Amino acid sequence: MSTKLIDLQHISKSYGDNLILDDMNLYIRENEFLTLLGPSGCGKTTTLRIIGGFEKADRGIVCFDGQDISHLPPNKRQLNTVFQKYALFTHMTIAQNIAFGLKIKGKSKAYIDDKIKYALKLVNLDGYENRTPDSLSGGQQQRIAIARAIVNEPKVLLLDEPLGALDLKLRQDMQYELIRLKNELGITFIYVTHDQEEALTMSDTVVVMNQGYIQQIGTPEDIYNEPENAFVADFIGDSNIIDAIMVQDELVEILGTRFACVDIDFGTNTPVDVVIRPEDIELVAPEKGTIEGVVTHLIFKGVHYEMEVLANGFEWLVHSTILVPVGTKVGIHVDPFNIQIMNKPESEDEEVAVFDE
Amino acid sequence: MKKFFSLQARRIYIALIMLFLYAPIITLIVLSFNSSRSRAKWGGFTLDWYKALFENESILQALYNTLAIALLSSVIATVIGTISCIAINSMKRKSRTVVMGITNIPMLNADIVTGISLMLLFLSLGLKFGFGTILLAHITFNIPYVILSVMPRMKQLNPSVYEAALDLGASPVNAWFKVVLPDLLPAIQSGFLMAFTMSLDDFIITHFTKGPGVDTLSTKIYTEVKKGIKPEMYALSTIIFITVLVLLLLVNKTPSPEKSPGRQKGLYQLTQKPGFRYASAGFLLLLTGSGIFLGMSRIKEPEVQQVIVYNWGEYLDPEVIEMFEAETGIQVIYDEYETNEIMFPKVAAGTSAYDVLCPSDYMIEKLIENDMLMEIDFDNIPNAVNIGQQYYEQSKGFDPKNKYSVPYCWGTVGILYNKTMVTEPVDSWSILWDEQYSNNILMQDSVRDAFMVALKLKGYSMNSMDEDELKEARDLLIEQRPVVQAYVVDQVRDKMIGGEAALGVIYSGEAIYTQRENPDLEYVIPQEGTNVWIDSWVIPKTAQNKENAEIFIDYMCRPDIALLNFEYITYSTPNDAARELIEDEDIRNSDIAFPDLSLYDHLETYDYLGEEGDSLYNDLWKEVKSQ
Repeated sequence: MSTKLIDLQHISKSYGDNLILDDMNLYIRENEFLTLLGPSGCGKTTTLRIIGGFEKADRGIVCFDGQDISHLPPNKRQLNTVFQKYALFTHMTIAQNIAFGLKIKGKSKAYIDDKIKYALKLVNLDGYENRTPDSLSGGQQQRIAIARAIVNEPKVLLLDEPLGALDLKLRQDMQYELIRLKNELGITFIYVTHDQEEALTMSDTVVVMNQGYIQQIGTPEDIYNEPENAFVADFIGDSNIIDAIMVQDELVEILGTRFACVDIDFGTNTPVDVVIRPEDIELVAPEKGTIEGVVTHLIFKGVHYEMEVLANGFEWLVHSTILVPVGTKVGIHVDPFNIQIMNKPESEDEEVAVFDE
Repeated sequence: MKKFFSLQARRIYIALIMLFLYAPIITLIVLSFNSSRSRAKWGGFTLDWYKALFENESILQALYNTLAIALLSSVIATVIGTISCIAINSMKRKSRTVVMGITNIPMLNADIVTGISLMLLFLSLGLKFGFGTILLAHITFNIPYVILSVMPRMKQLNPSVYEAALDLGASPVNAWFKVVLPDLLPAIQSGFLMAFTMSLDDFIITHFTKGPGVDTLSTKIYTEVKKGIKPEMYALSTIIFITVLVLLLLVNKTPSPEKSPGRQKGLYQLTQKPGFRYASAGFLLLLTGSGIFLGMSRIKEPEVQQVIVYNWGEYLDPEVIEMFEAETGIQVIYDEYETNEIMFPKVAAGTSAYDVLCPSDYMIEKLIENDMLMEIDFDNIPNAVNIGQQYYEQSKGFDPKNKYSVPYCWGTVGILYNKTMVTEPVDSWSILWDEQYSNNILMQDSVRDAFMVALKLKGYSMNSMDEDELKEARDLLIEQRPVVQAYVVDQVRDKMIGGEAALGVIYSGEAIYTQRENPDLEYVIPQEGTNVWIDSWVIPKTAQNKENAEIFIDYMCRPDIALLNFEYITYSTPNDAARELIEDEDIRNSDIAFPDLSLYDHLETYDYLGEEGDSLYNDLWKEVKSQ
């Protein structure tokens, strides 16, 4: 997991006056499952298309295995793509679809037939050779699209929101399927999605993007537990993001009340953002908590109850498996290691953007 | 019960609509199997008209032209249109809308505007009118239909499909043909079929862009109008209708390929078979090749001796042309018109340099007045002596010195009546005002012929320019209106044969024909006098082959040839020598074909009245018709 298989250096891209990517640097290691995550318009798909060769960067270079491939057309790149809308060839059978790339490469019929069998088995659709794409369900079509890509034995598979059009249950099944596939094939996956759950479930590395900038790169755990800024915190899961002052190491003042924390090196009396995940807030008896508040809203979410607690003028979002009726006075307790301290954003680009999912 | 009733009502309603829409076509189809020539009676089932159709070479040539032009133009338009769609699709939204609008305009444009504009363009480019110009015109008006059909499909295409092909290693060209084209194919097919149908269907644009000797079915059928539509044409129209119907069914059957394999049927599946592809590709290639060959052979023509003849439709025995070509080695390019008024602007516009025309008396006068005719060198036409001297005398009314014209056909206008329905002697135009024949009288739907009847009845000249006289004639015609069954042209013939009317105004040439079909009919020239008309050969100033034109006219004056033509078209021949050759004594001495003009008073030939006269007559005629 050490070689840089793909290396994007100083990539910039704009459409007209619209800056999509600004001086982006990113590398992808061999055999990595890397996910580009962000709201629409953040530049994640453009990044993928630049890697695939469907778009040319205005500036910067794309290296593949140490070679500059910036000017290679898509058909000359050792990559294959799985498109959002499957992009199967509707006038061909499934077998013809899968054989498309192999035929162009001039492989023998026996080899192609073998590959088709193998690929269909891999995506659990044996025996579908002579069906047409229109007769398959969305999930099946997507698996054929994946089979069509992987028979070419690419070093890297690019996946552009491949599960976006599927329903929830199918999407979850396909997530496991993709992980299994990646492990069996041992190739690099670059995956684009705006679904944070998908990103956290499957990836080795998550790249959170917003407005053409990378906000944070890290493992799913890093991204979730230690968001580097308010955007990441807000985008990944639900959070309480609160203005606070770092009084000194391991002590932060939130809404006028001091909380113990584990962070250091923020200086003294520094304005910071504090992130507290809703499931990290414990509701206790009023006198036992750090702050006192009143439950104002209550929604049953299945796994847990979602509550809002008004305390010190702030609506705290709380997830708990224990029901606390609206109007109940409660105390709020947060363990020190569950308080995540972040620097205030330095530029506008890192601020929480309005995004649509 | 209520539901049942409404269901019945709905069915009847649908049936009525169907009847309304298809009754005319069904009539046509039924008539194409009718062994009687008359529209009015059923003479038993026959396939003779279909047989005759396929024995008629000029119709088959027209059919070939039609199919060749339809196929070539739709193939070329499909290629151009599809390429245009690719370009339009990659434009920005704004320019795309503009370009789409521009390409749609020609479809909404009136055909006649398109036709005339193309004619003017071709004229100014100095193109030779013929197969090539028709083809160009058809390609032009077909392209928008292809774009209309292909564009929506192009917009629906998933752009990822093309990218997926590239991604899998296909070159851009390869990707387009392997992946994008098959997706567009259904739309391209229906665009092609639409263009094909439009081309097959077109008359007006073809009419304006065609050259001499080249006819498509539609223009061919139209020239037949002069002699009335022959039953062969019913047969032909039936075949065209069936062809178009089949094409339309194919267009509608072409599925967008989203069906499961079991449901993919029809054209789409058919076209997926390699055999079909090779066959159709071969067919198209063959057709394109033969089209090009045909086009080339037309272009080459000027090298051989030729004469371009512009004549009335059905006004010459086709065999005569073959004989002429065989005997003289001069190739005849033969073109037909329907009325003098259609011929004149075509000659004036100069789309084709005609060598020989056959206009009527007053039109010859107009041509002379406009300095559009060449003097004929009678030394080159020894057979001109076969034409009776009286006809040259008659011609002096429009060609005072007999310098420009050689009479070809002549006749009178008179009353055709059915002896079983009219028992009293008929000798005056006044019988056409008789109320006992109310709704049994047919008048000519033509301004000069209608006014001729009224003016003659009043004892005036049929070339009168006296406004008071003309107003009297107008009032007389208005008075006549209630007893008139219809104002028609060719239908006088068929209606009289069918016994649908008792009396009709008719040209003598038609009268001979109608008598053959229905012996109860009789023709008279009223005592008040009538129109004696003459159609004569003339050579326009624009002629390129004057020598050949004179050889052609001379040939037409040969007694045996004039006889053949007389027997074919049944209009009276001024060729005395030919008349002597007529074997059937009844016809040779027929009062209809060869009336002794010295027995009648007040015979006149139409004069050209000038534009002022034309508009005066036309205005008064409008007043009559609008009553």
